This record gives sequence, C-alpha cells and structure tokens, in this order.
Amino acid sequence: MNSMNSIYENLKSKFNILGVDYPDDMQMAIDLDEKDIHTVIVYLKSIGYTQLSMLTCVDWIKEGVFQLVYIVFNWDNGIHILVRTKLDRENPKFRTIVEIYPGAQFYERDVHEFFGVEFEGNEISYKNLFLELWDDMPPMRKDFDPQKYSDEKYAAREYKSKFISEVGGEK
Amino acid sequence: MKEVKLFLGPQHPGMHGNYSVHMYVDGDIIKKAYPLPGMLHRGFEKLMERRLWMGNIALIPRICVVEPDINEMVYAMGIEKLGNIEVPERAHWIRMIILELARIAIHLMSFGGIGGPTGLYTASYWSIADRDLILDIFEKITGARVYHMYIVAGGVRKDLPEGIEEEIIGLLDYLEKRLPEYEELILKNPIIHARLKDNILLPEEVVWELGVTGIGMRSAVDKEYDIRKVKPYARYDQVEFDVPFGPYSDAYTRVSYKPIEIRQSIRIIRQSLEKMPKEGPVRVKISTGSALRWTVPAGMVYPVIESARGEYGYLMVSDGSEMPYRIAVRGASYPQGLLGVEKYLPGHRIDDASLWMDTMGVCAPEIDR
Amino acid sequence: MTVDKSVFSPIRAWKYLIEKPVTIPKKLVFDTPREASDNYRGFHINDWTTCVGCGICAEICPTNAINMIEIDSLEQSTGNKPERPAIDYGRCSFCALCVDICTSDSLSMSKEYIHLSKDADTFYFLPESDGIHQIDFDKGYDRDEVSELLDLERYEIDETPIEGRNESFIEIIRGYSKEMAIAEASRCVECGVCTATCPANMNIPEYIRSVWTENLEEGVDYLYKTNPLSNVCGRVCTHTCETACVIGNRGTPVAIRWLKRYIVDNTPKEDFERVVLSNVSEKINGKVGIIGGGPAGLSCAYYLRTMGYEVDIYEERALLGGAVRYGVPEYRLPEESVKEDIEMIRKMCVNFITNTKVGRDISFEEIRNTHDAIFSGSGNWIPKKLKVINVDHKDIRFATKFLEESRDYSRDMGRMPEFEDDIIVIGGGDVSFDVARSLARLQKIKNGKINIKFIARKPIEFLAADQEEVVEGKEEGLELRLNRSPVEILVDENNKVYGVKVAKCTSKLSENGKAKTTCSEETEEIYAKEVFMSVGSDPDFEYFSKEMMENLEMDKNKIIVEENGQVKGYPWLFAGGDIVRGPDIITAVADGHKAAIGIDEYLYNREKI
Repeated sequence: MNSMNSIYENLKSKFNILGVDYPDDMQMAIDLDEKDIHTVIVYLKSIGYTQLSMLTCVDWIKEGVFQLVYIVFNWDNGIHILVRTKLDRENPKFRTIVEIYPGAQFYERDVHEFFGVEFEGNEISYKNLFLELWDDMPPMRKDFDPQKYSDEKYAAREYKSKFISEVGGEK
Repeated sequence: MKEVKLFLGPQHPGMHGNYSVHMYVDGDIIKKAYPLPGMLHRGFEKLMERRLWMGNIALIPRICVVEPDINEMVYAMGIEKLGNIEVPERAHWIRMIILELARIAIHLMSFGGIGGPTGLYTASYWSIADRDLILDIFEKITGARVYHMYIVAGGVRKDLPEGIEEEIIGLLDYLEKRLPEYEELILKNPIIHARLKDNILLPEEVVWELGVTGIGMRSAVDKEYDIRKVKPYARYDQVEFDVPFGPYSDAYTRVSYKPIEIRQSIRIIRQSLEKMPKEGPVRVKISTGSALRWTVPAGMVYPVIESARGEYGYLMVSDGSEMPYRIAVRGASYPQGLLGVEKYLPGHRIDDASLWMDTMGVCAPEIDR
Repeated sequence: MTVDKSVFSPIRAWKYLIEKPVTIPKKLVFDTPREASDNYRGFHINDWTTCVGCGICAEICPTNAINMIEIDSLEQSTGNKPERPAIDYGRCSFCALCVDICTSDSLSMSKEYIHLSKDADTFYFLPESDGIHQIDFDKGYDRDEVSELLDLERYEIDETPIEGRNESFIEIIRGYSKEMAIAEASRCVECGVCTATCPANMNIPEYIRSVWTENLEEGVDYLYKTNPLSNVCGRVCTHTCETACVIGNRGTPVAIRWLKRYIVDNTPKEDFERVVLSNVSEKINGKVGIIGGGPAGLSCAYYLRTMGYEVDIYEERALLGGAVRYGVPEYRLPEESVKEDIEMIRKMCVNFITNTKVGRDISFEEIRNTHDAIFSGSGNWIPKKLKVINVDHKDIRFATKFLEESRDYSRDMGRMPEFEDDIIVIGGGDVSFDVARSLARLQKIKNGKINIKFIARKPIEFLAADQEEVVEGKEEGLELRLNRSPVEILVDENNKVYGVKVAKCTSKLSENGKAKTTCSEETEEIYAKEVFMSVGSDPDFEYFSKEMMENLEMDKNKIIVEENGQVKGYPWLFAGGDIVRGPDIITAVADGHKAAIGIDEYLYNREKI
C-alpha cells in the first residue's frame, strides 16, 4: 500500500490525474484525460511496468461514454495499474498504443470489434477478428440485445414432448 | 517458388481446441501466418452480464475446458475484493488443493499433448489415463468431473467429503512414481530431442513485446515471474515451493518445465493437506437474502492468478446490482495465440506449426471466450 | 535431460510387456459399469409430494433449461402451485443451482448419468422420484448448509422491550430500519405463491422488490392497486401470505406484513399522497351509498372514486374505520395509522356522514332513493353467547362493547372503562386476546398489577389466535387456563357473578387436519369477580325492511352474494365484509374492491339500456 502511495504521489506530481482508486492492496486505478494516456503509459513503461496485461472497454451507456482500461503490470513489485480514460460514446475514436506496447494490437482489434472504438494508427484493428459476417452493432455495447437478435435470426425450438399431453396442458 | 495457402485447424490433431491458422507456405517453410480465432466464440462476456452473480458459476468454467477451476477462482476473488469479503481459512486451503490438482491435470494433458505433433502417442494415452485419476478425485469433491463449479465467491460450495485426504495422498504418491517414467518416455526420447531442442525459440525481447507470461516467460527471462510468488493469493505465501526458470527458452525447455511444476504442485498439495484447519466454516454468503438477490458493491477490480499458461485475470465491474456490469477475460494465451502466431510463426516449418502452438501454450477457448 | 544412449534402454522398455495397462479394458466398461461418486450431479429427481411448484429452480437456472409445466391432476392450495419443473437436457449444464435453492427440499440429483436416444424430445424430461429411466439409482448431489442459496432466518424487527410493555398502549412493533428492511426484502424469491393466497391478491412480490430496490413510491402504487388500507394491513393483517410463503417451508417466512408497513411508514407524506391521489378520476354521473365505514366500505369507496363515482359513506359512530378503529387495540394499531389511511380516502372527496345509523337516523329506503347503488358493509357488532348456564346474566361483559370503550379511552376520547381487579376472559381467537391484553394494560395502569385468567377449550397449538398473540399475551402476564370448556357462569345468592365452572378437555389432530376436542365430565371452578366473553359476533340487519329480510338468501347469518358482491334478487345492492364472509380485514378489503368493480359493471350496463 505504501509503495502504491508513493507511485501515486510520483504520478500526481507529473501528470494531471482526475481520480484514483485502490481496488486491492496490489492494485491501483487512475483516471486520466484522454490526451494524457500516451505520456502516462510511456512513463509507466519506463519505470518498470513492462507488461500490458490487458486493454479493454466498459460501456457506461447512461453517462454516454466508453471507458478504456489499460492494465499494466510490473513483475518486480507485483503491482497492477489500471489506467482509465473516458471517450465520447457517440464518436469513439482514440489513438493506438502499439508503438508503446506492440501486444496491444489485438486488444485494440478486439475492442473495436466488440465496442466499435476506432484506434487511429492501427489499421488492422478495423478488420473483424472473432465474428465472421457480423451484421449488427458491436455486440458488447449495452444497447445490443442478444436475445432479440437471436429471436429474429433463429427459429425457437418447439417442445413436443409426450409427457406434456399426458399430464397437463401446455403453458 | 509459388506460395501455397494452407489451413491449420480448426479440426486438427495437433491443434488444441477449435482454432485455425491460415498459413502461406513456400516449400515447407511458413512465410505468412494469420490466426483465425472465433470458432469457439460463445459470447461469454455478454452472457455474464445477463446472468446472476451466482448463476455465472455454471458458465465461467467453460471458458477454459482443461483448466476450468482458474476461472472460478478469479471470478470468486473479484467478487470478494469488490465486496470486501473475508474467506474462511479452511476454504483458502481447499481452493489451493483444487487449483493445484487442476494444474497437475492440465500439465499432464499438455505434456501428453506433445504426442500429437511428434507422433509419440504413448505419451497421450498415459497422460489422459492418469489425468482421469485426478478427475475421479474432482468428482468425489465437487460432484462433477470436468466443470466443477466448486469454487464460489465466499469460499467453496461444499466441504471436502470424508476420507478424501487419504485418497489425494494416494494419488500424489502414484503420480510421483509415474513421473520418472514420463521423463524416460518423453524427455529422454531421441525423437523429442530432435524435434524440440533448439527449436521454436522464445527470446526475452519477444516475451516483453507480446506480453507472454507463464512458463514461456519464466524460461526466457530467468526470473521467478509467477503470480503465486509475485503477489500471492489464497495461502500461497504460507507454503514452500519453487518455480522453474531459466535464460534460454526453446520448445524442449518449456516442455521439460512441466514435470517440474507437477512436482511442485504435489508439494503444495501435501503441505496444504497438512496445514489446513481440519474443520471450520468453508463459505460465507456474499450478501443477504436469496441467491436471486445477491448483490456486489459497485466498483472495478482486476483479480489475477497464475494459470498453467500464465497470468489469468478478469476485469470485473459491478454497478451494485444482482448481475455483473462487465467482465472482461484476459486469457493467458491471448498474446502468443494472436500476435505471436502472426509475427513469430513465420519462419518455422509446417510440421513445427502445431508444435509451436502446443509448446507456447495456446488455448483457443480462452482467446475466443 | 539428455538422450539415453545406453544399449540397454530398449530392453528396459520391455518391462511394459508384463505391466498392467493404465487403460480400462472395454469388457470391464460394459460388465461392471462405473458407479458415480456420492455427490455426483446426475439426472434430476423431484419428489412431487414435497414440491410446491414455486418455480424458483426455473428462476435461478442459468441456462433457462427449466420450464414449469401446469399439471392438471394437481390442485392449487395454500402455498402450493399446480406446477412441476421440466428440464431440457439440451440446455441443462448440471450446475445443481436448482437443487441448492429448492425451497421445498424436493429436488435432488441421482447418480444416473447415461441417456442415449435418437429422439431429441426425450431429452426434455419431467423429473419425478423414480428418475429418468425408472431405474433405481442412489441419490447423488444434494444441498447442505454450505451450498444453501436461500436466506432462511428472518431479520430482526425493532420491538418495544417486554418489560413495561403492558403498562401502556404504545405500539409493540416499531418497524424495520432501512438496512433490515432491505435485507428482509432480499430474502424474497418472487415465486408469487403468496399472491394467490392473499384474499385481496395483493402484488406482494412486486412491492417487496420495490423495498429491495429502494423505490418506495412504486411500492405504494402497488399497494394501492389492491388495498387502500395498507397502513392498517401493514400492522394487523392475518397474513395468510406468510403461511403460504415458500421460504417458510424450510425456514421462517418473509415478513411480508412488516415490509408492507415499512413502505407505508417510510414513504414521505407528500410522495405518498401524490401517488395515491393520482389514481382519482374526474367525477362521472353515478352516486353510490355505502352503509358502514369499516374496511369493506372504505375499500369500496376508494375504488369507486378511482372510477369516478360519487360516494357517500353512512357511519353509525363518530369516527370512520369500523372494526379497525373500534375493535383492534391501540398497541397493535395506533390511532395515527388508521387516521392516515382514512384521511387519504377523505381527500379523494368521499362524503363521510358520521353519527348516522341507517335504520335509526336515516332510513334504508331514503338511501336507496337518492343513490344509484348501495354497498353494505355494516359488520358484526352483536356479540355471540356460549350456550352455558347463566349466560344471560346482566354482568357478563362482551368484547365489542368493551374494546370500543377501551379504544376510545386510549385515544383520549372517553373515560377509562370500568372493570374489576380479578377477571376471567373466555375466548380463543384474536379478539379475545385483544380483550385480555387490553384489560391487562388497564389493570396495570389502574392497580399496578395484573390478574387475568384466560380460558379456552383448546391447547396453544390449536388456538384460533395468532401464535404471536399467545406468546406476547403470556409475556405480558396473562394466566392461561387452556383445555377448559366453560359449562356454567357461577352466580352467588346475591346475584353476583363469582366465577366460571369449566370441564376439562383434550384436543388432538383429526384426519381432516383440524383439531378435535373432547370434554370430560370432570369439572373445576375458577373464581373471579368479573367475566368477559369473546366468542365471536353476529351481524345486525335491522335496517333492512321486513320484506327484504324475507327475500334475502342467507346462510346461517351471512348474506349469500354473487362473486362480485351483488346480492341475489337485488341487483342494485352489494354487500361485503363480515356480513358476507369474514373473518378478517384483508378479506373485507378484497370484498370492497370486488364490489366496486361489480357496481361499476352494473351501472355501466344499466346506462346502456
């Protein structure tokens, strides 16, 4: 916890941090403005956060924002830092970080496919990866209703079991 | 010479799970490779958002077929961190036993899996048969062989059945006796040496570039980079065990680490059986009321554990309701399975492709989710 | 490790020729089928005799594999739906959450795990206790305390401490705190079994959900959909819903009544009023007269106003409320609560005509002539008498009159009723406990000590009264003399009552589930200075004309009405409450509601002609 405080103090003295949260005693989450993301991530990488564990997105539909979460990890002190920023949900565009963490390439592609966030500078991310021939809005968005999609696309299974006619009426 | 397009998978004996790679080959050298995941995409993350916190335990083990328990553990840890729930002492130790048994099971399976790409099928038969003995133990403890749904938020679902301790010890004794035979069969085998030694290298720069973790990372960077050591969860800080590591990562090293890890897991289980409280509670309820109305306080957390393939974590977000708001799965083989295949599979021979997938530890279901 | 270059290494491999294989021979697989472990999650078994068809298994099922099937041969009863779960093994994931949450302990799993068929429909299966193939298999997975998914124990409600409780008429239950109410509400599983049992079919799961989601305004809306006396019913309802509650099968039922009360007590007044009054409609052409301002009349008035009719209520006494204002004692139902409910109905522009007894101050015909329809909910106010010797003695006191006086005293509207310092109360139902416990309080206030003997024919477990009443009555100092049936009121030579002669009785459960009491010849005498009798009451139909009384269809002393409350032979007359059915407030409320719908229908049809 102490070491995390000092990391936070260090970051705070250099960058404009909008909010901080400690979900765990080996974890810190910081909120940033989108323009600061790259500088902070470069800095974190330079002080030992050499691994990008994950990049993903959360759809806060009520607030009208997408929250990008970059999780970086320092294997030497065991601390995960969740670097978060919010994008406008109407026009979700951001710049890639593949120059900093090349491993981000497929995470960005993933986020683009499931949330529709575009990453400028990572052209391959515009190509579908998991969902072949997908024909609806990005499916991890909160306003996508998989039940409805499935009902429209596929026929429902009809149950014609014998016991139903034997012991009762269909419900 | 003309380039030929070849498909490896989705149905292929050298491929674990339904996963496909498009390869452009020249002679028998791969020139370009494109991973084609999605064959096992079942929309887990979306499904989880639409199920109860408790109901999800039926779903999450299916993210990784051979090692389902890690999913249950990560999920449970996330809820416990969000809800500030103190897990009973005995439950911690039971969880460790389950997790290590699962680790042995998957190492055995992938150890035998090397039989596919190399033609050494005896290894597969042996390891699958021995893994079944572990599944027997799982069945007795949890009521199911593969998808245990046993580790739940707040502890474990049921206490250990009576007399299971002796059975586990008996199994461990047997496995220890069997391990030298495996080593004899596989690690000393000239075919394995010919195919694996100095083949499929994983240099340190690549590890950092891709974000590879687990055995691949430890064998390359010469450091004890294991989540169980770096940030211990459950009661891993109270047991003694070693993690193999080294500076040179070829396919052979990575395979040879597996029996070492199995031995360490056996060590952990033995210590756990000894150290765990013999009785006491094994579960606390995560919230008041019936399971239909269990809620988890709002927040965001990234619980993480060491799977057999490396760092395994979920990004879990709760909005305080009875269902998760968002869960994102970080499959341990995501980096090497996608970017790794695209960048570093080219240059190898066609017959090494499935060997590459196997020794790098690419597990399709956790990539696809 | 290096390659083994020894020349003997091939020979070493020969030892496997004589070793046992690690695999199992095919023959063994078929000859000795493997038995699953003791808690194996195999196919489901469902014990139909204990299953109550609550459908929670279907609710929790993460794969929607369970469907509830209506079974014609089963009957709907209290706490029981005629439905049983059917499981689609094409979807089932064998997680056993259904077993863990089963409210009735009927679902479990067997060790059987093989089913082969080319017909996909056979994988849809209605489990009974004999398993999928009617083959005898051992039980596999079952729930234990650790895997339990229900919250079986009730959360504590704040109560006035027992010490000093009998010194005043202060309400005993103080109500749930917010945390406790939410915790209690979270125990509900929304099966809806309670709704079917509630006489008024209140939207119980819905309003409990609104407590849980902290949306009390929505809760108020749900309450008023079927019950305009929510404040009253949140306190003194007979709560048959809690008897039905499926959580009660293995634990304590959800405190439905107290949660209802929580909604009423904790919604801000302005919000409450806004929600309730938003239901009132513009006045339309139609006027209904209501005889009796008790629960049935008030309920009828409320729903008629929501439909737009003009309503006049004729009430004999000074205050509206009937039994809830002149029967139930203050410590169970504070004056404030009744007032709030009635005030809400008054605010809907219902005319309250008090101190007007129909048949005395105004004739029934007059009401008939000035209104389009009449609803009568005049209630039971004439005490019943036991058939014992000297029962007509002038000094014997009866419940209705006494409770009225006592209630007036506790709301500062009358003098303290007269009573002796040594009293016998004869009864067994809720009202008799109201009498005894009110007397206990009055004695404590006046004399500082309690001396009340409570006589009933049956033992505690078979008493008609709520068990809470018995327990609390005992705590407050009542002396229970149970299993005794009065045979004579003892009167001395000066014509003064001095006690009761009782016969000793025994009760046991008979086949139909009711208690059967037999009394012996052996008698004893219990002495006291005064005797109170509380054994029920009868309606007073004085206001009906002779001709009507002859034409009305009666069952004993209750009027027979149609489903909607319409009196046979008099389409403009509706009736409800104690004079039709009884015996509790919630039934009266339900009658009022039904009658309001019936009146609306009647007037609408008449208009068309």
